[in-house]
Amino acid sequence: MDKVSEFQAHIAGCLDSLHNYTLLLVRPPDDHEDLLQESLLRAFRGFDSYDPDLPFKAWVFGIIRNTHIDRHRRRKASPLEDPLNDAQSTSMLYSPLFSIPLAPEAILLRQETIEHVREGIRRLPILMREVVEFRDIEGLSYRTIATIIDRPIGTVMSRLYRGRNLLRTYLVDPRRQDGHATRGRHEL
Amino acid sequence: MQHGDAMNCDTMKSQVFPYVDGELPTELRNEMEGHLVECEACRRVVEQEFAFREAYITQLLPDPAPPQLRDKVNQLLAGLGQPAVLARRPWYKALLYTTAAVALLAVGVTLGLRLGALIERGNVLDDVAEASVEQHQKLIRGLMPPDIAGVSPKVAEDWFRHRVDFKVSLPDLKSSNVTLVGARMSHLAHAEVAAIDYQLDSHRVSLFIMPEEAYNQLGLSEKPRFKVLKRRGFDVVIWRHQATGYTLVSEIGSRACHVCHTPDEKFGGASLESFVRL
Repeated sequence: MDKVSEFQAHIAGCLDSLHNYTLLLVRPPDDHEDLLQESLLRAFRGFDSYDPDLPFKAWVFGIIRNTHIDRHRRRKASPLEDPLNDAQSTSMLYSPLFSIPLAPEAILLRQETIEHVREGIRRLPILMREVVEFRDIEGLSYRTIATIIDRPIGTVMSRLYRGRNLLRTYLVDPRRQDGHATRGRHEL
Repeated sequence: MQHGDAMNCDTMKSQVFPYVDGELPTELRNEMEGHLVECEACRRVVEQEFAFREAYITQLLPDPAPPQLRDKVNQLLAGLGQPAVLARRPWYKALLYTTAAVALLAVGVTLGLRLGALIERGNVLDDVAEASVEQHQKLIRGLMPPDIAGVSPKVAEDWFRHRVDFKVSLPDLKSSNVTLVGARMSHLAHAEVAAIDYQLDSHRVSLFIMPEEAYNQLGLSEKPRFKVLKRRGFDVVIWRHQATGYTLVSEIGSRACHVCHTPDEKFGGASLESFVRL
């Protein structure tokens, strides 16, 4: 199989995941399709440097992420501004409220639908949503996620922990908008 | 909870996600399972986590790509390998900056190499070194693929000429053990920079070239002219030559300079290595 065919086969196998990630990074009406296409071109140019120790889609996730940051910096006056580091994400990441472990008992009893859980994930602040989706939807390991987001594994674990707890807060109380968890019967 | 357990309920709470994810190291997992045998409350928590995973998490799938996007991507992929798709922009005649670049760099090294004891360690310098190392790592890991690859320095110069408003001068490759792996636009010191990825023997060397304005904004002192740092196991050299700033990142110390200079090149009668001590 030549390089082009091999690359095409890889992309065909994970296009849904790649599309999903661009939607996470770029909310409509911004052009997430253009981000995806630019990232795919970059990925093809760098395909010779792809290390098979990393899942292919994880490698492209990293390229999409960096392409998104590059594009953001080109457009903004402050090139060091991190487009993934929005104020909501940052404040919620460091909120002690989301270090509270929430048992899923109440959620199980409510017999939530899968779509309701998926919608809850979409509501998460971007830094939490990113790692929750990488782990719970894409099935990536902590180490692989750390490579994609270029942060230590401890950061991945922290964001995942808080993201999952915030998701459970949303599921228990769907009206909640600000994510302020409360201690109660869901606490371990 | 059983008194004397290596694992207690609080520790268990903090590790329940990694445990259910199968991410705990063996020793910690064994400790946790020992605790679960003894502690009914924690066992119930873990059972609920597994039930939650089974009921919801294992059912989650990425949102499907819409058909029209799939068509666009298929069209894009079908055109891969064709120069018009990959280049996206026309190539122009190569510019002859190489000779000037060699001369300018040689003069810069001759005049400015005073390294080791005179390293500036201000916060800005540290930040630039850290950022350079981070970008170098992304380049060599393939997380920042090159925009152009397998081209000559002259072609790379020309590619940058149409993308940046400062001069990117790349000397000819000095020997067969040096290759220009690729080049791309990147960001450093609050500015767009040219990132060039070299391979010297089996080692990767990254050269970042930034415009004068961005280098000036760093506020670095003029002396030493060549700032040499070691960060996270990488050797970083930062300097300015005339209207351009440079950072060079590698793991091979002064040998990294051989991407632009021959090993036996002399500067004022002295070897490169005699100036560059990392």
